[in-house]
Amino acid sequence: MTLQINNPRPTSLADRLRKMHWLIITLLCALAAIGVLMHFSVTDGSWTGRPVDHATRFGIILVFVIGISLLDSRIWIALAYPLYVLALVLLIGVELIGVTRLGAQRWLELGPIGLQPSELMKIAIVLALARYYQNLDPRRTGQILPLLTPIVMIGVPTALVMHQPDLGTALLIAGSGFGLMFLAGLRWRYIIAAAAVALPSAIYAYFFVLQTYQRQRVVTFLDPDADPLGAGYHQLQSRIAIGSAGLFGQGYGEGPQSQLDFLPEKHTDFIFTMIVEEFGLFGAFLVVGLFVWLLTLVMRVSVQAKSLFARLAAGGVGITIALYVLINTSMVIGLVPVVGIPLPLLSFGGTAMLTIMAGVAIVLSIHLNRDASTSRSFVW
Amino acid sequence: MSGKRDLMNVFNRRVAVLGALGAAGFGSVIVRLGYLQVENTLNTLRGKTSYSDAVDENRFDLHVLPPPRGILYDRFGEVLANTSPNYRVMVVPEATQGRLEDVLRQVGALLNLPEDVIEARIRKAKRARRFDSMLVQEGLDWQQFSAVNVFLPELPGIKAEAGELRYYPYKSAFAHPIGYVQRPSQLEIDRSEISNPGAGIYLRNPDVRVGRSGLEARLEPSLQGVAGWRKVEVNATGRVVSETVGQSRKPVDGAGTILTLDGPLQRAAMERMGGESAAAVIMDIQSGEVLVLASAPGFDPNAFVNGIGSEEFKTLNENEYKPLFHKAVTGAYKPGSTFKIVTALAALQAGKDPAERHNCPGYYVYGGRPFHCWKKGGHGSVDMHGALKGSCNVYFFQAALRAGQDRIAAMARALGFGTAFDIDLPAVQAGIVPDQAWWESQHDDPFPSGMTLNTGIGQGDLLVSPLQLSVATARLASGMAIEPILVRETLGRSGTTAPRSLDVPKEHRDIVLAGMYAVCNEPGGTAISGGDLQLVRDPSSGRAVPLEQGPGFERVRMAGKTGTAQVRVISAAERVTGVKRNEDLRWGLRDHALFICVAPWDKPRYACAVVVEHGMAGSRVAAPMARDILRVALMDDPLGRTPTTLAQIQGKGRRA
Repeated sequence: MTLQINNPRPTSLADRLRKMHWLIITLLCALAAIGVLMHFSVTDGSWTGRPVDHATRFGIILVFVIGISLLDSRIWIALAYPLYVLALVLLIGVELIGVTRLGAQRWLELGPIGLQPSELMKIAIVLALARYYQNLDPRRTGQILPLLTPIVMIGVPTALVMHQPDLGTALLIAGSGFGLMFLAGLRWRYIIAAAAVALPSAIYAYFFVLQTYQRQRVVTFLDPDADPLGAGYHQLQSRIAIGSAGLFGQGYGEGPQSQLDFLPEKHTDFIFTMIVEEFGLFGAFLVVGLFVWLLTLVMRVSVQAKSLFARLAAGGVGITIALYVLINTSMVIGLVPVVGIPLPLLSFGGTAMLTIMAGVAIVLSIHLNRDASTSRSFVW
Repeated sequence: MSGKRDLMNVFNRRVAVLGALGAAGFGSVIVRLGYLQVENTLNTLRGKTSYSDAVDENRFDLHVLPPPRGILYDRFGEVLANTSPNYRVMVVPEATQGRLEDVLRQVGALLNLPEDVIEARIRKAKRARRFDSMLVQEGLDWQQFSAVNVFLPELPGIKAEAGELRYYPYKSAFAHPIGYVQRPSQLEIDRSEISNPGAGIYLRNPDVRVGRSGLEARLEPSLQGVAGWRKVEVNATGRVVSETVGQSRKPVDGAGTILTLDGPLQRAAMERMGGESAAAVIMDIQSGEVLVLASAPGFDPNAFVNGIGSEEFKTLNENEYKPLFHKAVTGAYKPGSTFKIVTALAALQAGKDPAERHNCPGYYVYGGRPFHCWKKGGHGSVDMHGALKGSCNVYFFQAALRAGQDRIAAMARALGFGTAFDIDLPAVQAGIVPDQAWWESQHDDPFPSGMTLNTGIGQGDLLVSPLQLSVATARLASGMAIEPILVRETLGRSGTTAPRSLDVPKEHRDIVLAGMYAVCNEPGGTAISGGDLQLVRDPSSGRAVPLEQGPGFERVRMAGKTGTAQVRVISAAERVTGVKRNEDLRWGLRDHALFICVAPWDKPRYACAVVVEHGMAGSRVAAPMARDILRVALMDDPLGRTPTTLAQIQGKGRRA
C-alpha cells in the first residue's frame, strides 16, 4: 500500500475555498437562475411554486456540492466500485420490485430528495470506469479482456435501465461509458471495426427493413413513457414555438405557445423551447454558450489533472453533461426523437440537477486537488 | 513512466476529438435553430403557412355567434317555425383530468342515457380532438339540464350550455312545405372547409342547423342569416384567456318570412285527410297564393332537428303511405278524368261545337280495338256539357281525336301542366305532357293515333302533380296565367307581379266551368253527392255559413271535376270475366282518386285539388274531402281578410 503525492494538497479550509473553481460555480448559478426566471415566466406573477422550489433545490444542492468538493478527492477513487455495485444492486432491486408492482416503483425515497438508481448509475459508471482504467496496465489496453470488461460494465446497467424502460437514461449511461472508453485510449481499430459493422447495419435496418410505422414503433417501444400524447405533438408545438421566435423572441412572459400551454412539458424537457420562444436566437446562444463554457472549463480541469483517474472522471462528467444538453436541445428542435431527457440545471425537477451537480462536485474536487497524482499502483 | 506519458498524450488527443465532436453537435443545434427562423421568414414571404401563422392558429379561436334562424309565419302572422332553447352538455376530453370515461358515465347516469349510447359517446370522445369540446347530448329538458348543472363542480371537463334550436310548434301539419333542418353532415363540413375555412367553423357550431327539405332548404341563405364571430385568445385546453383581442362581427338575424299558407286551413286539411295517403292544395285563383299545401300522412319535423334515430327514420322511410314524400308538389299521378277539362278546351279551340252529341254505348272502337267508358252500358247521347257532367269517356275519345294530340298537349301546358313551378321548394314535379314529338323521343316507332284517346281521358303517359291540378283549375276559373307562390314576403322580396291573361276565350272556359258546375250540382253529375258544400250566404254579412243556419238563404255552390286514375292495366280477359272491383284489390293496386274544384260558384276565388292515393273513386273519396276542406275555407274566407306584413310583425315585437 503505497501512496505517492507529488505536491501537498491545500490544507486550510480558507485556502481550499480560495482555490475553489468559482467560475464553474458562477456558471452553474447563472444557468439555474435562467431556469428560475423561465419558471417564473409561466406563473401568474407569483414566485411561490416552481420558481422558489427550483431556486431552493439548487441552493441546497450547491451547498452540498461545495461541501463535498472540499473533501479529500481520494474518496472518489475509494467510492468508485462500491457506488457502482450499489447502483447495480439497486437497479436489479428496482427491476424485481418493478416486476411485482407492474413497473410502478422506480424511485427510492432518500429523505426529501427522491433518487432513481439509474441516476446514481450515471455517476457511478463514470467513476467505476475511471477506476478500472486507473489500475489497468497501459500495455494491456489492446487485449481482449480489458476491452470486454468495460463493455460489460456499461452493458449490464444500460440493459437494466432500458428494460425499465427509460431510453433516455440508458442512452446517457451508454454514451458516457463509451465516451470514457474512448478517452481512456480505446484503439481506433476497435472503434472503426465496431462502427463499420454497427453503423451500416443500423442504417440499413432503419431505412430498408423497418416500415415508417415500425420506425416510430422502435422509438415508442423502447420508451413508451417519453411520448404518450402521440409522436408528433410535442415536437410540432416545439418547432412552431421556436420557428416563430425570431432573433430576440416574443419577449419575456409573452411566448404564446408557452404561456397558453400549447407547448407541453415546458417546465421540464421543453424548457429550452420556452427560452427560445421568449428570448429568440439570442436566448438560445446565451444558454448554449453558457453550457459550452461550462464544458470547456470541465474539460480543462480534466486535462490539467495529474492522475488518470482524475482525468477520466472529470472527462466522463463532461461527457455526461454534454450528452444531456446535446440530446435535450436536439430533441426539442426535432433533430432526434423525443427520448425524455431534461435540460440540466434549467428543467424543473431534482433528478437531473442532482446528477449533474454530483458530477460537478467530482470535477470541483479534482480541480482543488489538481496537483495530486495518485500512483497507478495505488490501492486503497 | 513512458507508458503513462503515452497514455496522457492519447488522452489529450482524445479530449480534442471529443471537443470537436461536441462542437459539431452544438453547431448543428445552432444551425438548425437558425434554419427554422429562415424557414419561417421564407414561408411568410411566400404566403405559405409559417410557424408564426401556426402560433396564431393555436392562439386565436374564432368563436362563432350563430344568428337565430328566421321565423316562418303564415299569412296572418301565426308562427309556424321558430327557435326554442336547446339545453346541451359538452365535454372537453383534455379537461377531464384523466377521468374522461368516469365523467361521461356519471353524466350518462344523470341524463338517463342508455348504456350503448354512453359507450358510443366514450368511444367518440376518445377519438375526438382533446382540446375541442364535443357534444355529449342535446335537446335536454330543464330537469336534466339542471341535474347536470348541480353536479358540474364534480364533473371536470363537462360544460352545460343553452343554445337555440329550430322548433316546429305544429309538428306534422307543415312538415312538407316547410321541411326541416338538420345538423350539417361531416361531408358538408369538410366541403365547405375546403372552399372557405371560416365556414367549417360555423358549421361545426353545435347550434347550427341547415335546411334539409322544403322551404328550409330552399330559403337557407336568407333564413340562416349572417353568422357573427368574435376573435378570442384561448389556451391549449380551449379555455378563453382573453375576449378582447379586438375583431368581432355582430350576427345578422335570419330573415323572417311570411308564407301564403293559412295556418288553420292547412291544419284542417291535414286533419281531414287523416290517415289517407293524400295531397290537397288550395290556392287563390287571382294571385296564385297557395293557402293549403298539404300532404298526408305527415311526420314530426322536430324529430330531425336533433338527429332522428335510424329506427325511427326507417319506419318513416319504408311506410307504404310515404309520409316523408311531398306528394302535393313532388307527387306525379295520372290525372284521369280531371284532365277532360283540358281535352274539352282543346276540342273547343279546334272548333268543335259543344252542342254536337255523341252516342256512348259504353265503349268506342278505334283502330279495330274497343276503348271503354267507365260506365258499363254507356251514357247514351251526350253533348259536351253532359259529357263533362257524367265524365263520359266515349265523348272525350272523339273530342280528343278532334283536337289532336299536340293541341291537347299545348292546352295542358297553357294550364300549367308540364311545368315545374318555382315556389321556393325543392323537387317540384314537372310531370309529363306527351305530345307526338315527346312520344317519338321515347319510342322507336311513330306515334300511334290511338294514344290520343288515352290522353284525352287523362290516362296514358300523362303525369301531373296535385299542385299543377290546382293551378290548372285556378287558371281555368280566372282566365289568368297565374303562377303558384308560397312565400309572401321575405328578405328583399315582397308583392307579386300581375299575371298575364290566359290565351283561352272566355266562352270556352264558361262552357267547361258550366260542365264542372253540373258535376256537383245537376242530376247525373259524378259528384252530385260529394260536391254539395251545404253552405248558404248570410245576406247581412255576406259570409258563407252552414246550411242549417239559414235554410232559406242563397246556396253557396262549387264546380268540380272528378277523376279516377288506374294504377294497373286491365286486361281483355279481365274485361270478359268482369273487371275486379277496387275493394277486392289490395291497397297498392286500387285506383287513385282525384278531384279538382273551384268555389264559390258565383264569384270564384278558391281553387282546390285533392289526390287520394289508391282512394278508389274521385267521386266517392276525393270530392267529399275537397268539399270539406273548401267548406272551412269559404266559411273562414282568409282571402277576404288583409294578410299581415313583416313590418307589422316587427312593429308589434318592438312594442312588446
